[in-house]
Amino acid sequence: MLSVQNLTKVYPNGTQALKEVSFDVQDGEFLVVIGLSGSGKSTLLRCINRLIDPTSGKIFWDDLDITAASPSELRHIRRHIGMVFQQFNLVKRSSVMTNVLSGRLGYANPWLSLLGIWPAEEKQRAIHALERVGIADKAQSRADALSGGQQQRVGIARALMQEPKIILADEPVASLDPVLSHSILQYLEQLNKDGMTVICSLHFLDLVHRYATRVIALKDGIKVFEGLPKEIDRAKFKEIYGEDAQEVRATSLEAPA
Amino acid sequence: MKDLSHLKKLVRNSLLFALLLVVFVYSYRVTGIDVARLVRDAPKARNIVLDFLHPDLFRRDVEIVTLDMAFPIPCGSAPEAEPAASGPRLATSVPCAAARERFALEGFELAPNSTIEIRWRLPDGRLWTINRVQTDADGYFQVEVEARPIAATADGVPSLIQADALVPVGPYKPSQTFDDVMANMLVTIFMALMATTIATLVAAPLSFLAASNVTKRGCIGTVVYYGMRSVFNILRSYEPLVMAVVFAFWLGFGPFAGTLAMTVVTIASLGKLFSESIESIDPGPIEALQATGANRIQTVWYAVVPQIVPDFISFIVYHWDINVRISTIIGFVGGGGIGYYLKERIDMLAYRQAATAIWAIVIVVMALDFLSAEVRKRLT
Ligand SMILES: Nc1ncnc2c1ncn2[C@@H]1O[C@H](COP(=O)(O)OP(=O)(O)O)[C@@H](O)[C@H]1O
Ligand SMILES: [Mg+2]
Repeated sequence: MLSVQNLTKVYPNGTQALKEVSFDVQDGEFLVVIGLSGSGKSTLLRCINRLIDPTSGKIFWDDLDITAASPSELRHIRRHIGMVFQQFNLVKRSSVMTNVLSGRLGYANPWLSLLGIWPAEEKQRAIHALERVGIADKAQSRADALSGGQQQRVGIARALMQEPKIILADEPVASLDPVLSHSILQYLEQLNKDGMTVICSLHFLDLVHRYATRVIALKDGIKVFEGLPKEIDRAKFKEIYGEDAQEVRATSLEAPA
Repeated sequence: MKDLSHLKKLVRNSLLFALLLVVFVYSYRVTGIDVARLVRDAPKARNIVLDFLHPDLFRRDVEIVTLDMAFPIPCGSAPEAEPAASGPRLATSVPCAAARERFALEGFELAPNSTIEIRWRLPDGRLWTINRVQTDADGYFQVEVEARPIAATADGVPSLIQADALVPVGPYKPSQTFDDVMANMLVTIFMALMATTIATLVAAPLSFLAASNVTKRGCIGTVVYYGMRSVFNILRSYEPLVMAVVFAFWLGFGPFAGTLAMTVVTIASLGKLFSESIESIDPGPIEALQATGANRIQTVWYAVVPQIVPDFISFIVYHWDINVRISTIIGFVGGGGIGYYLKERIDMLAYRQAATAIWAIVIVVMALDFLSAEVRKRLT
């Protein structure tokens, strides 16, 4: 179980991105974080693996205090938390294979990894990860030769190399064509069914209804909602997104079953 | 109100125009531009241009051969020589002559640019020197000769015109000039290579200090960042040639001073380019690899290096190319290598050898230009 307690983040320039946010995530949940841009979703996700250090508050993973971890403990914790990004964050000039293998750096022998030497079993693991997202045939392509949807699948494969228990996904489909959104989210859904906890920020309400097991909503860094997706009705929606907001759908099509 | 501002504008523009005119007229005078002379003196350039089109590339071994031909004086006193049609040979404008008559003597297919002694071999075997001549680049000479009474036919035996000529034999080989040019060209290329290599080793680490996304953090970082950038900018504003003269005061003119001068300028230039390349990297992959639990060195190696190495390599090759040109010019003022060789030959008026050097420079610069463009194309 992941337990976020009174998490607050004030950036050096004074922006208060998170204010006393608390919630729990049970193992195996698909928790979706919603909120307008600037509401603090990215900051929240990055505090969980401490890409950003919170100003105050605690994050416990079972008994482990992530917020108090030393740099080397932190690297061990991060190995078990995969992350998927809106902009994919691949090394564009490197091959798909190298990008996927780099997800394993936390486990690899540091010296061999710097020489670019990977044991056969790790290469096998990378191929397997690519097979799980259906693009094993692209292993030798340069990352930037792939379409956006394919790049995000490489991003997921890279996270899979960590054999993660938690996957943090920061607007994983926001840079993609809406029609590709379901395809990417279905991979995350599958991983969730395979036992990984998923914490994912999303924009479109129809996607939230389709994939989330639970939802929290942020507004100006404050948690304004926590509950089941079906509890977000029109009134709640207006409260989270403001009076002028219109509900839009990612796709007019329903997700293929 | 509006008219006044119009008038102001008109006056200002007229003044500006007048000023520009003065500047241009003065510049024209100072530069001594003289188009008429360009045309008038064109013939002077002709030989130089011909020499340039005719670089000294090949040579053949030479052998001393005594050529001779019978020359009856007066006509009919003895059989005339059969004129040869090819090979190293002598030829006269007339087959025989009366005493004191003048005629032309020509030599063909002899060693180029060699000195040849021409003489009479009198019927009694004595030798009588006529002249010393110089063959041209094609191994040809022509000289006017007088039919001396002393060389008259005696008892039906004619005098011979003889020449100890150097004649080329054997296959074509690269000329001495060619070998010298190659050796000096290599010196130039290696000077540029050394300068570029040392500069890369120095500039690569320093460039991180001048990259805002790496260094510009906190008070000390900001100072280091601006300090490093200023150093690069100041060093960059010096001409390598000026720098070479400065180093020469201290080390004497030679390849070392030239190489150091190029190194300093290249450090500044590469440092700036490298730091700009580092500043433009995508921070996304760094964040992504930190999130996987990779350590700092692994993150740099997998997320930063692939983004900057292609740029770095193309900048290095490009600067090597530039440095070959600069080193040619530094050589010209005494820095060694092909530039120095070229200047020496020009001072000696050895235009064909100079031409060989210039051709070598042109070819090497073009080849490197092509190479560096090709490398850059591959790497992007
Ligand atoms: N590095 C930063 N420095 C200062 N302010 C930041 C930084 N990153 C984000 N912010 C601010 O913090 C707030 C929350 O941002 P973010 O977590 O990116 O929101 P979201 O992901 O929901 O769009 C915004 O007001 C944003 O401008
Ligand atoms: Mg965000």
